[in-house]
Amino acid sequence: MHRFLTLLAIALVWLPLAPAVAQNGPLRIEITEGVIEPLPFAVPNFVADTSAAGEVARNISQVIASDLSGTGLFRQIPANAFISGITSFSSPVQFADWKAVNAQALITGAVSVDSSGKLVVRFRVWDVFAGQELGNGLQFVGTQAGWRRIAHKVADQVYSRITGEGGYFDSRVVFVSESGPKDKRAKRLAIMDYDGANVTYLTDSSAIVLAPRFSPTGDRILYTSYATGFPKIYVLDVASVKRRVLESQDGTMSFAPRFGPDGKTVVYSLTRGGNTDIYRMDVSTGSSARLTSAPSIETAPSFSPDGRQVVFESDRSGTKQLYVMSVNGGEARRISAGEGQYGTPVWSPRGDLIAFTKQSKRRFHIGVMRLDGSEERLLTASFLDEGPTWSPNGRVIMFTRETQGAQGQANLYSVDITGRNLRKVLTSTGASDPSWSPLQ
Amino acid sequence: MARHWTPTRRTVDGVGVNTGQIISGAGHFGLIGWALLGNIFASEPIPFEVTEVTAVTAEEYATIMAAERPPETVSDVIVPDVPDVPDDVPSLTSQVDTAADTSQPNATEAGQPDDVPELSEITPPSNTIVGDEAPVLQPPEEDFAALLPQTSLRPKQRPVKRIAPEQVAPPEPDTTIDEVVQQETVPDESSDKPAEETIETAPEEAATEIVTEAEQAAPAKSIRPKLRPSNASLPQSTAKDEETGSSDVEAALAAALGSSTDEPAQPSTPSGPPLTSSEKDALRISVQKCWNVGSLSSEALLTTVVVSVEMSESSTPVTSSIRLVSSTGGSSGAAKQAFAAARRAIIRCGARGFDLPREKYDHWREIEMTFNPEKMRIK
Repeated sequence: MHRFLTLLAIALVWLPLAPAVAQNGPLRIEITEGVIEPLPFAVPNFVADTSAAGEVARNISQVIASDLSGTGLFRQIPANAFISGITSFSSPVQFADWKAVNAQALITGAVSVDSSGKLVVRFRVWDVFAGQELGNGLQFVGTQAGWRRIAHKVADQVYSRITGEGGYFDSRVVFVSESGPKDKRAKRLAIMDYDGANVTYLTDSSAIVLAPRFSPTGDRILYTSYATGFPKIYVLDVASVKRRVLESQDGTMSFAPRFGPDGKTVVYSLTRGGNTDIYRMDVSTGSSARLTSAPSIETAPSFSPDGRQVVFESDRSGTKQLYVMSVNGGEARRISAGEGQYGTPVWSPRGDLIAFTKQSKRRFHIGVMRLDGSEERLLTASFLDEGPTWSPNGRVIMFTRETQGAQGQANLYSVDITGRNLRKVLTSTGASDPSWSPLQ
Repeated sequence: MARHWTPTRRTVDGVGVNTGQIISGAGHFGLIGWALLGNIFASEPIPFEVTEVTAVTAEEYATIMAAERPPETVSDVIVPDVPDVPDDVPSLTSQVDTAADTSQPNATEAGQPDDVPELSEITPPSNTIVGDEAPVLQPPEEDFAALLPQTSLRPKQRPVKRIAPEQVAPPEPDTTIDEVVQQETVPDESSDKPAEETIETAPEEAATEIVTEAEQAAPAKSIRPKLRPSNASLPQSTAKDEETGSSDVEAALAAALGSSTDEPAQPSTPSGPPLTSSEKDALRISVQKCWNVGSLSSEALLTTVVVSVEMSESSTPVTSSIRLVSSTGGSSGAAKQAFAAARRAIIRCGARGFDLPREKYDHWREIEMTFNPEKMRIK
């Protein structure tokens, strides 16, 4: 008995030390928890190689910093904290100075105007703590008027090199510009840079317009107009601002159009005889096919990125829910299962998530769920949030938020799919129904 | 005569108890009590159980058993039912037994004895006569002269410079000794890419000059030669294994010649006490404070990377030694991003040195850190 107790005591004493004693080779540890913080970066003013490029060099630096900071993934270190500056694009980087201000990424660049009047922008991205360059230096050449777009392209490159996924800064958003009181609101189609700059109006306010949607190449826009007194689908060429009616059957109402990934096919809702179903149309021939035939309301269709499936909303179960069906129609499966009503589903460009609007307990939410309806996450909550649209890289969602009351106004907001970084998109007027273009 | 062994325990039950057995029993109880209630971790003396036995004859054992057997006091006796005897009783027959065959088996011829190995085939080991006295060594003259006070007035021989038969290349420029090998920055006129100015560094050379045997100091005393093994018939491999000195020499020769052995070289095992769990936890917490996954892509957040880093004795990571050992769960691009985040964490939080016990440097000279972002993914 005593021998047993003694052996047991010895075993208990040595048991915790056994793995340590057995250490062979390097010390091994596992780290499973970290922090989620914006990555500090520094963008010293780009060096102006020519006197004519001085102001645009500063502007480009500011736009790059604004793009990166706006993602919520990066934090700009103010210029007054810099220990050393960048006076020459080719001079060595003093990493110790940038480490001292905790800059983990450094963007350096130079701007010049060549003999033909073109703007030339060169830049490099540095991993300060590794003391090495991220990727190779790159140069963009464009018109001087297009400096802003060049800045967005530089920011896209920086974003991609640090995060490992594509950017979304060199993109545009088409939306419905709203002005006037709520009971007599004027609505026009407008297009702008993703950050609210360079707004251009595509239609006048003579007719109500709704739900504009970009084509996969960004050169055309589908939208719904009440120009005839009834909702009809139009297609508009962005470059020429010319438009034509896409669906004009007598005695019908067509709305909620959306392009397929090939740009040749459109799915939309059509109401005939009081029943609303989903149809698919070949844009070039105008031939259409009916995809649903339920007596309920089926609307807001959206293609999957591979073009094989369509997600839509339907009240066939008594409340609005989300369903997925083949692009050729047939039996649909319900994917939404939570309390409340679901609408305006949009398939992520990555194909892994579906964004939606949810109404529950007198609140509206923007949320995302997996393709089978699992892992539903509500990203926002307000009096009225609706109409999500995905950024080209599938990381950010833009949507409409309308405030309550007679003086309530619609505005555009964006939120990261993590639910962080909710931001208002600055527009000169009220705005609703955004649709994000692909990366240009 | 058959003998039975009766354990002493029976005497404790009340039979044959004497004073010595009572003392022995009390001693055992005390010992067991001390072992249970006392300091069981005492290393000396280690108590052990003793069971005494007494040898008795068969007659004595029968007597003891008869005296010990208590009277039977069975009160309830189950009387079995009397079986019914059928009327037709089978007839019984009897037969006289025949005597058992007690004849002895015929003796058989004894088998051939096993072959006895010829002793002549076995070569007896040659006995080596080793004297108790150490052999008298004749020290070389130079050593002798060095050990004695220099009283001779003979002029010393002037040192002769070694002259190579051919002109040799100029020596390498002075290089800063460092454990990190780093090339000196050379300006590249053809490239716009600026490079950080670095000083060339290299590990310390094995020797800065050739030290000949004659220049080495003489040993204080000669090493007594080892005795030869007396059993020369041992297999060669066994003798080789036990001869650690020779294996060391072979290893040194292999290392010097750069030859590879059949088995890969085993890494040197750190000596001394390993890091405790709290010391490892402190290191892990230090690194995870700087492991920022906020800017990683969704795919990079699915990627686990194993990163190796060499540490200086000042407990700071050697930046140039940080390398990606392996990755799982993502593409190479995602692994690259995940590795970059891990590297930033090690460098940032290790810039002022990790809190590691210096006396255990051998244990954390090289560290492999596994960065598993499973808990950091978007839920």
